[in-house]
Amino acid sequence: MSVFVIGYYSVLIAASCLAVYLERRRVFMLLFSLTLISFVAGILGGVSALRTITILVAVFALAAGVSYAFKEFLIQISRPGLARELRTAPLTAAFGMFVIFTYAIAGIFAPWIAPHGQAEVISTSFAPPDANMLLGADQLGRDVFSRIVYGARNTVGLALAATVLAFVMGALAGLLAAVKGGWFDQFMGRFADVIMSVPSLIFALLMLSIFGTSLLVIVVVVAVIYSPRVFRLTRAVAGNVVVMDYIEAAKLRGEGDWYLIRREILPNSTAPLVAEFGLEFCFVFLLIAGLSFLGLGIQPPTADWGSMVRENATLISFGDITPLIPAAAIALLTVAVNFVVDWMLFRSTGLKG
Amino acid sequence: MSDIFKLVAKRLGLGLVTLFVVSILIFFAVELLPGDIAQAVLGQGATEETVARLRERMGLNDPAIMRYLNWLGGALQGDFGVSLISGTSVTEAITQRFLNTLFLAAYAAVIAVPFAIILGVLVALMRDTLFDRAANVLTLTSISSPEFFLGYVLILYLSVKTGWFPAISSLSPGMGFGELLERTFLPALTLVLVVTAHMMRMTRAAIINLLASPYIEMARLKGMPPWKVIVKHALPNAWAPIINVVALNLAYLITGVVLVEVVFVYPGIGQLLVDAVSKRDFPIVQACCLIFAATFILLNLAADVGSILTNPRLRHPK
Amino acid sequence: MSKKNQEQIDRLADAARRGGLSRRDFMHYSVAAGLTATTATGLWTTKAAAQPKSGGNFRWGLHDGNTSDTHDPGTYVTRQNIFLAHTHRSYLTMIMGDGSLGPDLADSWEANEDATQWIFELNQDASFHSGKPVTADDVIASLNHHRGDDTTSAAKALLTDVSDITKDGDHTVVVTLSRGNADLPWLMTDYHFAVCPANDDGTIEWQSGDGSGPYKIDSGEWGVQFTLSRHDGWHREGAYFDTVELLTLNDPNARQTALVTGDVDAVSLIELKTMALLQRDPNLVIHNVPSAAAITMPMFCDQAPFDNVDVRNALKLAMNRDEIIEKITFGAATKANDFHHSPAQPYYPEGIPQRDYDPDQARSLLKKAGAEGLTISLSAADSVYTGAVDMAVLYAEQARAAGINVNVVREPNDGYYSDVWLKKPFCLVSWGARPTPDVMYTLAYKDDAAWNESHWQNERFNELLLAAKSELDNSLRAEMYAEMAMLARDDGGTIIPFFNNFVYANRANVGTPEELAASWENDGARAASRWWFND
Repeated sequence: MSVFVIGYYSVLIAASCLAVYLERRRVFMLLFSLTLISFVAGILGGVSALRTITILVAVFALAAGVSYAFKEFLIQISRPGLARELRTAPLTAAFGMFVIFTYAIAGIFAPWIAPHGQAEVISTSFAPPDANMLLGADQLGRDVFSRIVYGARNTVGLALAATVLAFVMGALAGLLAAVKGGWFDQFMGRFADVIMSVPSLIFALLMLSIFGTSLLVIVVVVAVIYSPRVFRLTRAVAGNVVVMDYIEAAKLRGEGDWYLIRREILPNSTAPLVAEFGLEFCFVFLLIAGLSFLGLGIQPPTADWGSMVRENATLISFGDITPLIPAAAIALLTVAVNFVVDWMLFRSTGLKG
Repeated sequence: MSDIFKLVAKRLGLGLVTLFVVSILIFFAVELLPGDIAQAVLGQGATEETVARLRERMGLNDPAIMRYLNWLGGALQGDFGVSLISGTSVTEAITQRFLNTLFLAAYAAVIAVPFAIILGVLVALMRDTLFDRAANVLTLTSISSPEFFLGYVLILYLSVKTGWFPAISSLSPGMGFGELLERTFLPALTLVLVVTAHMMRMTRAAIINLLASPYIEMARLKGMPPWKVIVKHALPNAWAPIINVVALNLAYLITGVVLVEVVFVYPGIGQLLVDAVSKRDFPIVQACCLIFAATFILLNLAADVGSILTNPRLRHPK
Repeated sequence: MSKKNQEQIDRLADAARRGGLSRRDFMHYSVAAGLTATTATGLWTTKAAAQPKSGGNFRWGLHDGNTSDTHDPGTYVTRQNIFLAHTHRSYLTMIMGDGSLGPDLADSWEANEDATQWIFELNQDASFHSGKPVTADDVIASLNHHRGDDTTSAAKALLTDVSDITKDGDHTVVVTLSRGNADLPWLMTDYHFAVCPANDDGTIEWQSGDGSGPYKIDSGEWGVQFTLSRHDGWHREGAYFDTVELLTLNDPNARQTALVTGDVDAVSLIELKTMALLQRDPNLVIHNVPSAAAITMPMFCDQAPFDNVDVRNALKLAMNRDEIIEKITFGAATKANDFHHSPAQPYYPEGIPQRDYDPDQARSLLKKAGAEGLTISLSAADSVYTGAVDMAVLYAEQARAAGINVNVVREPNDGYYSDVWLKKPFCLVSWGARPTPDVMYTLAYKDDAAWNESHWQNERFNELLLAAKSELDNSLRAEMYAEMAMLARDDGGTIIPFFNNFVYANRANVGTPEELAASWENDGARAASRWWFND
C-alpha cells in the first residue's frame, strides 16, 4: 500500500465528508461514487488505474475551474443585459466559449504564437518532445505544436467559411421558398433533392476533379453540398411559421417578402438553425479530412488537422499518439461548439428546467 | 388514408424526375472530368495512338448527347448497359456488392437506431446531469473523429490487442450467418459510432423542445413521473423530427461508407463507385449514383409518411 | 563444443530457416560461436537452408488493386493484375532470384550476329489450365496482341522494332527486328507479355483467365480476392503451396493489421513509417530489397526556365538526397545520381561521382544563368509514391537554402498520369523497375520517345543508345552506358532522387529463398511459385 494510494483515498473520503457537512448533495454523490469506482478500478487495474483517474479528475477540475473563471470574466466585461444572460449559462457552455476563444486567438495570431513556421523542417522525423518542440516532430521533422496552431487558422477558417456560406445559401433559399411557395418552392425542393441524393464524397470528388482544388473551390463545393440540408430544415421550420396568423396579418398589411423574412420568420426559426450549425460545422471538418484521403484537400505544406490525422493514422496501431493530437483538436472544438449551441438552444426555447 | 396514397404517388413521380436530373448531372460531370476512360485504363502507358484506338473501340467518338440518349433508352427498358472496361453487365457487377452494402447498413442500423433513441430519451430525462454531459461529450467526440481513424482505433483495441474480432472483413462464399456477423462486427460498430450522435441529439432536442408545452406541464402537474411524461406524452409528438434524422442517417449508412469499406476491406458498393469514377467507367458510375439517389428518395418518402402516420394532426389536416 | 554453444547454433539455424538470417550473417555468427567455417557451411546446407515443403494455403495481401481491372494483358496496370498474371500465366522468360535471366515458357533462346533475329525454343511440356498444350501459335498471338495498328495495348511502344514474328514448327518462335536489340529476351519478362491461348483468327482469348502458370484460378472478383489452386502440369520447378489466395488490401493499415494478426501470410508493401516498429515483431520477416524502380522529377528542357542547363543543374544540386531518403523512405532506398540506371540492373556504371546537396553552388549556377530568386511550381500526388507530396514539400524547404522558391502543387490522385505527367513542366513521377537500362532509356529518354518526360534532346546520347542496343559485346556495352550516364547526369532534364527499395513482409513460418528477385515486390511477383511454408 503506497503513500499515493493512502493519500488518494484519504483525500476522496475527506472531501466527501466535507460535502455532507456543507449539505452539497450533488457534490457528495459525485465524490462518493468516484470513491466506489476507484475501489473497483484499483482492484482491477492497480495503482496505475488510480493514477489515471487522478489525472482525469485533475484535468476535469482544471477545465471546470477555468470555465468558471472565464464565465465570471465575461460577466464582468459585458453590458448588464448580456451579463444577466451569461449568469444563467451552465459551466459547460462557459467551457465551450473558452475553447472557442482559445482557438480563435490561436488562429488569428498563429504566426506570433507558433514558435516555428508550418512548413519549416527543424528536426529529424518523429523526434520526441523537448523544450523547443512541445509536442515533438512529425514525419518530416516539422514542429507538431506549430502545425496545430496554424491548423486552427487554416482548418477552422476553411470550415467556418464553408459552413457559413452553406447556411447563408441554404437558409436564404429556404426562407424564400417558404414565403413564395408555388413553383419556386417546388423547384428549390427538387434541386436540393438532386444534390442531396448524390453521396457527398462522390459529389466533391467529381466537382473538385473538374474545377481544381483551390481554396475557393473547396469552400464553394463544400457549401453547395451542405446547403440543401440547411435549406430543408429552414423550409420546414419556416413552413410552420408561415401559416401563423401574425404572418397572415402582416401580409394583409401589405408587407413585402423581405420584410416578412427579416422581421417575422427569421427570428422565430433561429433556434433549430443554430442547433444544426453545431453539427454541420463538424461534418464539414470531416468531409475536408475525407477529401484529403482522396488527395483533394488543402494544398501542402499548409497545416490542416484532417490531413495531419490521415498522414500518420497507421502509427496508432503501435500506440504512437502523433495522430491523436490533431484528432483531439477537432474533437475538442466540436464538443465546445455544441456545448455553446446547447445553451443557446436552451435559452431560445425559454425552457427553465 | 387515401391522402397518404396520393402523397406517395406524387412523391414517387417527383422521385423519378429527380433520378432523371441526377442521371444528366452525373453523365455530364463524368464527361467534364479531365482525361477519359481510354487514358485512365492505359494509365502511365497511354500513347496518343493507343488511346485513340481504345476510344474508338469503346464507342467514345459519338457525340456526348447521343451516348447519353443511348444509355437512357436502355435504362428505361431496364438495361443499364455494360461496363466499358470489363464488358460485364452493370447489373451483374453491382448486385452482389449492393447486397453487401445493404447488409452492413442494416447491421449497423439495427444496433444504432434503438440505441440512439433510447439514449436520447434517457438524456432528455436526465438532462443537465453528469450522465447527460458525458453522453454528449462521448457521442460528439465519436462523430468528430474521421471515420477511418475510428476504424483504426477499433482495430487496434478489438482486434490486434485482444484478438476478439477479425481485422479485415473480407467475405467468402458459404460463410455461415454467425460468422458473417462476427466478421463484419467492427465495420458495423464504426458506423454505429458515426451515426449515433446525430440521432441521439435530435431525439433529445425534440423531446426537450416539447417539455415546455402546456400539455406536458399539465401532465407533470398531475403528478405523473417524469419518465412516463416523456414516454407517453412527449415522445409520440417528437417522432417527426426523429424519423427524419433517422432516415438521413440510414441513407448515409448506405451511401457514405466508402472510407469504412476501404479500412476494413469490405466489398461494398462505395469502393466500386470510387474505382469507376477514377477509371471514368460511366455506366457503373451512373448505376451506382442512381441506386444511391433512389435509396435516398425512398428513405425520405418513408420518413415523411412515417411522420404523418405518427402525428394525428398531420394525419387529419383541417 | 559446449552445450551453450550448441543451443546458440540451433537458435541461429532456426532463425535462418525462418528467413530472418542471411547466409552471410549465419556464417558470421556460427564462426563466432566456435564453429569452423567448413562446419558452418555444412550446417547451413543441412539445417538452415531447409528444403521447401509442399502444402498449405498461401494468403497474399496486395497493395494496389482496382475493381475495374480485367484479364486483358494489354491493359495490365495494377499490382493485382501483375501479381495475378505471374501466378496464373507464363512468360517466355523470367528474372531469377539472383537477377539473371532464366527460362519460363522458353527453354532457350539465341540471336543472330547483329541481334536482329531471335529464336525461342519453347518447353514441350507446358500446357494451359484447360489442358491444351502451349504452342508457338499461342506465343505469336499473345505478342501480336501488343502490335499493329489495331492494338490497344499499353506495351505497344516496347515492340515497335519488331517487324515480324513467325513459327518454325510447333515449339519454335522466331522474332525478327527492324533494328538490332540485344535485350529482347529481357524485354519478354515485361508483365504485359503474358501468354494466353490463341483463337483461330490469331487473336487471343484473355477473357476467361486461362493461362499456363503455376496456379489456376478457381474463383475471383477484381478488387476483392482471387482463389487459385496448383496447376499440376506446370512446366517448371516450384509451386509448393496447394492453394493461393490473393487479397486486395489497398489500405496500409488493413494490410499491416492483417499481417500482424495472421489473417494473411505475406503482403506486397508495408508502410515505411512503420517498418522499424514492425521489425520488432518476432512473428514477421521484413524484406528490404533494392530495386530498379525510381522516383523521377522531369523538367521540360524546352521550356523556360528549364531550357538552361545551369538552372537544371542548380535544381539538381538543391536537393538533399540523404535527408529525403531518411525522412521519406526511412532509409529504404538507394541514392540516385540523376541518371536512370539502377545498381539492380545489368551494366551498372561504377565510379561516377555522386552529386550531393550543395546550395551554394546551386546559387552560383543560378547567378550565372541570370535566374536568381527563381520561382517554380512542382506538381505531386500521393498516389505517385507514399509520401510523394511530403517529399516535394521537403525539397522545397531544401531548395530555399539555394534561393529557389518551389511551390508545391498537390494534384488529385485520380487521373495524375493523364492530366499532370507529360503536361506540367515539373512534376514527380514513379517508374516501375525495368529489366535493362536500354528499356528504360528507350522509353523515357530517347529524343522521339512518346514518354520523353523531360523533352530532353541530346544527339550523342541518342547515338550511343542505338549503338548499345544491338551491341552483343558486354564490355563495350557497359562503356557506352557509362558515357550515357554522365550525359544524363550533367545535361539531362531529370532529377532522380533515389531508387526505391521494395519493402514487403511475410509471417515467419513462410520460407523464402536466399535471394529475392528485384523486378517486383514479393520475389519478382512470384512468391506463390517460389515460396513455401516451413511448418
